[in-house]
Amino acid sequence: MKEALELLERVSAHPEARCWFLAWSPGGGLLASCGGDRTVRVWGRDGPQWSCRAVLSDGHQRTVRRVAWSPCGNYLASASFDATTCIWKKQEDGFECITTLEGHENEVKSVAWAPSGTLLATCSRDKSVWVWEVDEEEEYECVSVLNSHTQDVKHVVWHPNQELLASASYDDTVKLYREEEDDWVCCATLEGHQSTVWSVAFDRSGERLASCSDDRTVRVWQSYRPGNQHGVACSSTDPTWKCICNLSGYHTRTIYDVAWCHLTGALATACGDDAIRVFEESTGPEPSFSLAAHVPRAHAQDVNCVAWSPTEPGLLASCGDDGDIAFWRYQRPEGC
Amino acid sequence: MVGPGQGGGQPLQNANPLIYRRSGERPVTAREEDDELPDIIDDREIFDLIRSINDPEHPLTLEELNVVEQVRVKVNDAESTVSVEFTPTIPHCSMATLIGLSIKVKLIRSLPERFKLDVHITPGTHVSEHAVNKQLADKERVAAALENSHLLEVVNQCLSARS
Amino acid sequence: MKSASVRLERGGCREASAPLKDPCNTALFVFQECIKPVKVEKKLGQAAAKIRIEADGSYFQINQDGGAQKLEKAKITLNDCLACSGCITSAESVLITQQSHEELNKMLAFNKTATPSEQKLVVVSVSPQSRASLAARCKMGVLETAKKLTAFLKSLGVHYVFDTTFSRNFSLLESQREFVKRFRKQAEDRKALPMLASACPGWICYAEKTHGSFIIPYISTTKSPQQVMGSLIKDYFAEQQHLTPDQIYHVTVMPCYDKKLEASRPDFFNQEYQTRDVDCVITTGEVLKLLEQEGVSLSDVDPAPLDTIFSTAEEELTSHSGGGSGGYLEHIYKYAAKELFGIQVDTVQYKPLKNKDFQEVTLEKDGAVLLQFALAYGFRNIQNLVQKLKRGKSPYHYVEVMACPSGCLNGGGQIKLDGNSSKDQLQQVERLYESVQTVVPEDNRTVRELYEQWLGGVESEKAVKALHTEYHTVEKASTGFNIKW
Repeated sequence: MKEALELLERVSAHPEARCWFLAWSPGGGLLASCGGDRTVRVWGRDGPQWSCRAVLSDGHQRTVRRVAWSPCGNYLASASFDATTCIWKKQEDGFECITTLEGHENEVKSVAWAPSGTLLATCSRDKSVWVWEVDEEEEYECVSVLNSHTQDVKHVVWHPNQELLASASYDDTVKLYREEEDDWVCCATLEGHQSTVWSVAFDRSGERLASCSDDRTVRVWQSYRPGNQHGVACSSTDPTWKCICNLSGYHTRTIYDVAWCHLTGALATACGDDAIRVFEESTGPEPSFSLAAHVPRAHAQDVNCVAWSPTEPGLLASCGDDGDIAFWRYQRPEGC
Repeated sequence: MVGPGQGGGQPLQNANPLIYRRSGERPVTAREEDDELPDIIDDREIFDLIRSINDPEHPLTLEELNVVEQVRVKVNDAESTVSVEFTPTIPHCSMATLIGLSIKVKLIRSLPERFKLDVHITPGTHVSEHAVNKQLADKERVAAALENSHLLEVVNQCLSARS
Repeated sequence: MKSASVRLERGGCREASAPLKDPCNTALFVFQECIKPVKVEKKLGQAAAKIRIEADGSYFQINQDGGAQKLEKAKITLNDCLACSGCITSAESVLITQQSHEELNKMLAFNKTATPSEQKLVVVSVSPQSRASLAARCKMGVLETAKKLTAFLKSLGVHYVFDTTFSRNFSLLESQREFVKRFRKQAEDRKALPMLASACPGWICYAEKTHGSFIIPYISTTKSPQQVMGSLIKDYFAEQQHLTPDQIYHVTVMPCYDKKLEASRPDFFNQEYQTRDVDCVITTGEVLKLLEQEGVSLSDVDPAPLDTIFSTAEEELTSHSGGGSGGYLEHIYKYAAKELFGIQVDTVQYKPLKNKDFQEVTLEKDGAVLLQFALAYGFRNIQNLVQKLKRGKSPYHYVEVMACPSGCLNGGGQIKLDGNSSKDQLQQVERLYESVQTVVPEDNRTVRELYEQWLGGVESEKAVKALHTEYHTVEKASTGFNIKW
């Protein structure tokens, strides 16, 4: 099973600090990382080797927790424990911070761009999720402040092709939001996890959502539309989400991240037991996933993030508390 | 703004805590004397790290207050895990999170990075046990907390050696 | 348990998008995190006390002779909380010492048994927004509601019932004058404009705590109608009644909880007589509780005549144009257009922007913009306004800022009805509010007389003291022991 996930390269990305998150550029040619050294670094490939193309070091006063590329690839957003979110614009010779979004009361834990490119979401330990809108003049304005969670909000992720937002929280739930008239509302709450939900990921279609938690499980949720054939009851307007699969017993510590490959459908997890695991959906009447790959010592410490390349099937990047970025080639094993 | 232990005249949360005797020096084993063999980290060594952490309120150590005891420390060097149970002096102690954080920080700073640290409240000894344990177990919350200079200062005070 | 929260740092009320469940039952609970120490009676010569904690959480002080004394639970008052920010910062709930309508009950009960010299004169000032909400709930018109409410309150022992629409005249007139003054000195004072409305305490608390010295210079110094009424009752009315300010117990009925915070501001405390300008604030929902407590249905009450000491006409209610939050934008706009540019405006045209809680009003002449005003209700719009201001990109001369989406008629203390959607309910309350004929503050003769008799003139020192106030940056307490992480 080890051979299914093969190490290609390891890079010491954030020396003496944790590397918290990775984000592939939409074209797949660049990888952005961020960490406890308060920097954002952008990596590019020269042949097979990855090297650092830019270090964005004057944006934040504290840990940078998350980075996200805009769908057009020209902007990078960075979310920091200093309670701000920086927007960086790609220039010829690097990146320039064009604006800083303020307003959260304390650490910003995540930032994500909507597929349209005009909306941005941020979330914070202050329990709120904010939706921002950007206009042609690169001006950002707050469009909604959502106070649905009762605790720290860890992560926000947009649906791949709709303006539907998902958030993961310390309150053990996942919530979904959409626009209604001139404001945003929470349209679903996914309950089931027994502890903090650290991350969520939509599959390519957006009909399914995977969530990972401190309770050491990964849950897969399915969306059922009103009038569905499965007889699942729905409100007249919003789909209902039901947990269709619970992957437990595989992870021995908190699962910090889950990533669903939009090219192949493989599900990767980043775990506090230093391991990376990949699951594949098995054929059968009931939806189920089986473990296809497991690298026990993927990093020297906790793995914080796993990210599938958006353009190269099987290319996976990971990062961890050891400050390293690792690149992997995944090949679906036979009979899996 | 007033808090327990600050300023004169305000009553302490636990004004007359029980004080425990310090345990003696640790006997050195033959294995430890041999420089060729790597030292295996054991319960006693972890206890030695945390026993003299100061209580935020009283001029006493966690050992003297029986907040930490060697018997509540479990180390597995081979698996790189450390578990420390601590007992707040009273069930409503609002210092519990701070004490737990101090213990965690001391361990983070002293142990090799391979170790997975678990610091939690001795079951049944605090009213907000679950909430405190969850907070201490959340490495993101802990990391952010330690970037707060005021909080870091207080933690460092707890960790500083008493003359 | 999830209770409707007083989001003090976000402007007081729950955003209307989240459905509220029984906000009337908003009890606020002390958390363990509250660091207010247990008060111990320190007697001279006593050694440090030993404290024993019982299983039920009560504290006993053990004396040297072994005797145990039960300690009172520390009373946390709103002022403690305001000053501390120890646990309240991302407010879930905090317990106020008394549920306020109970406090009123206590006062009325006290009056029944007290000697004449101990008794207090109880005055209740009702806001027009609360009245509209009650009218909607009791399915009556506003005049009928006002008369029956007057009768009900008097049956409990209240002596006078007034309408804060009257004191709002002062707030509007002062705001108008203040704006024109600030407009005229724009060149010398960078922070003269935009002028930001001051009537909403949710907005004020947020501004003081989060933006402090940056934003304070922009905020209008004019007092809110509640506090103008406080000055009027405790100063002028007291004198007329041959009473000292502390001999009057002044209650207001308001559409939100943040008005309770406003009443407890040190700036509105009379040091000389050790009394607040407004002693107690009860929400519309708490009035309903009073009715339920007495087993009374408001519609069954026989109406009583309205107290007319502060009003324009007998048996008539009046209102002001410009919406359910007081009409500040409209009044200032019309006055400024006339005073500064000699332009008479009869109808104000609002242009909704991004959302219905953000609207613009522009005065143009020959292609030039003379005045640009805006309404900004709700936290998200306040956010955007302040951020624009910080970047120097705000085009406005005046902004009517209110913390609650849809304004005061939608305040967190208003009565929520079962059944109808919140949108329909709000429309009903709006219709009732707007059913009252509007008047122009300048036309109120009693107001003019009071400027002379009570204040000694429009720009007098006494007028400034009685009708204006100050703001203070709230420093975040940052002792290490109680930092929330």
